[in-house]
Amino acid sequence: MSELLIECQGLGKRYGSTAALDGVSLTLSAGEPIALVGPNGAGKTTLISLICGFIGKSRGRIQVLGETPGSSALSGQLAALPQDALLDPRLSVGRQLHFLARLQGMSIKAARTDVQRVLETVDLLDSINSRPADLSHGMRKRIAIAQALLGTPRLVLLDEPTAGIDPPNAKMIRDLIRQQSGNTTFIVSSHNLDELERLCSTVVYLEKGRLVSVGSVVDDAAQSFITLRLADVPESEFLEAAAALPEIQQLSRSAQGDYLVQTQDDMNASLALMQLLNDRQWRYRLMSRGKSLEERLYGNS
Amino acid sequence: MRTLAIAQDEILRLLSTRRGLFSLLGFALIWAGVLSYGILPAAAFFMGANESGLSEILLPRLGLTAWQQWPAPELAVYWVVSLYLLPFMALLTSADQTASDRSRGTLRFLVLRCARLEIFLGRFLGQCVIMALLILVTLGTVLMVIAGNSGDSMAASLARAPMIIINLILLVLPYIALMAWVSVMARSARQATLYAMVIWLSVSLLISYLQARFGPLALLDWILPGSQVGQLLRLSDWQTLDYALIPILHTLVLLLIGGTLMWRRDL
Repeated sequence: MSELLIECQGLGKRYGSTAALDGVSLTLSAGEPIALVGPNGAGKTTLISLICGFIGKSRGRIQVLGETPGSSALSGQLAALPQDALLDPRLSVGRQLHFLARLQGMSIKAARTDVQRVLETVDLLDSINSRPADLSHGMRKRIAIAQALLGTPRLVLLDEPTAGIDPPNAKMIRDLIRQQSGNTTFIVSSHNLDELERLCSTVVYLEKGRLVSVGSVVDDAAQSFITLRLADVPESEFLEAAAALPEIQQLSRSAQGDYLVQTQDDMNASLALMQLLNDRQWRYRLMSRGKSLEERLYGNS
Repeated sequence: MRTLAIAQDEILRLLSTRRGLFSLLGFALIWAGVLSYGILPAAAFFMGANESGLSEILLPRLGLTAWQQWPAPELAVYWVVSLYLLPFMALLTSADQTASDRSRGTLRFLVLRCARLEIFLGRFLGQCVIMALLILVTLGTVLMVIAGNSGDSMAASLARAPMIIINLILLVLPYIALMAWVSVMARSARQATLYAMVIWLSVSLLISYLQARFGPLALLDWILPGSQVGQLLRLSDWQTLDYALIPILHTLVLLLIGGTLMWRRDL
């Protein structure tokens, strides 16, 4: 059985009369990366802050790796990229990371080696002597991710790791999460659902401070759907031709422009669609089984 | 252990940031001014006044009743100047113990690795060491002046040095603890200083009100940090430590308030 990472019971956090988090009960175990999703104000950052011990709960119970959040026992076990948190802009990156590594209990030599390792991992070893004030926003974010990788944490929480990052660096961060997922479980909060769908196996969905669902990114109930993205194909012609296929029950177009095909037999429907595209010489860009995460979460909204 | 690491980092931070170095430079300039235009002329004046018999009349009025017991006038003036100047220095240098780190989010990186109380006490300890070093440097400059002016009194002056150092460190402790507390509430050094002033004035007004309402109460005279300074001016040797408990109690109370706030406050 997987190690229990987080256990919440009726967890709540209020700011005055506003409930930022309202009675969340949740159990998460170690394994593949976990996505934390929800619209703005859903309570994602509040939940991450409670797990990290940055803020105190208003009610309920929470245990992280069997400890109370904020406990010294979590040092080196729990790491995070807090949203909008910055290192001291006046001190060199290497010096600050070295100090953080030392606080985790590393020797001077081990800390020096580990700082080099994490900076190499985020491709910023050249910036070891730079001050954060002299780095770009993307570089500062990668440095903040580097601090979360110091040592061998069992749980790493990343709050909006790719927000404000250019595509090459966002890809680098995604690759990094994939590579490091062996011994570390990542919980990633993001508004980029495509990114989370590719990275994570479990999705925790919050809305208005409440837990709406916890489940697999690949939802069996959504397997009677095919998501299809076409390139330069006239919509009316495709809808007419596809609707004539007996394998297809219903056809609609999502807000993102993808076709959502409902069927009872997704394998045969996929083959029929491929045959249709081939016959008409229509090019497709993507065909996937099931609904996209975005369609599942926000499809009816 | 992590408390010591944080204290050490606080000292290194002072030495490795432009702001820290400017603070030290500012302190050095202020001290050079105090020494050149304050301590030395005042010591020379009181020496003259002593010879003419004026000091018998003037100095007790200034509270310096123990004037005769000091081995060198420079040391006596240093004692008086430090008792009034160092608390302000402590307030200014220790204003940003956690404030800007909180507003920047840097404190979150630390909280993931050590307890909030370790950070709070580590920063306090670091500031105490910084102030202790400043006290050593300022006293060192005065001792050098004494050595240059009157080598005869050097041995006796050196013998007083430990007493002066201990007393001055005890004097600044509650001020640093006060700034540790307000730094937890503030988002910048400037805001922390403002909070400290508001707290200080509020407590002063409350004491005045209570004394006006209920008459003189001995306990109220000892509530504010530095309340032992008047007594210290009248003493010159190890009997000054008779009042050591007062700053220690002030420090413990202020650390308790600040530590509790640090423990409970959202980051």
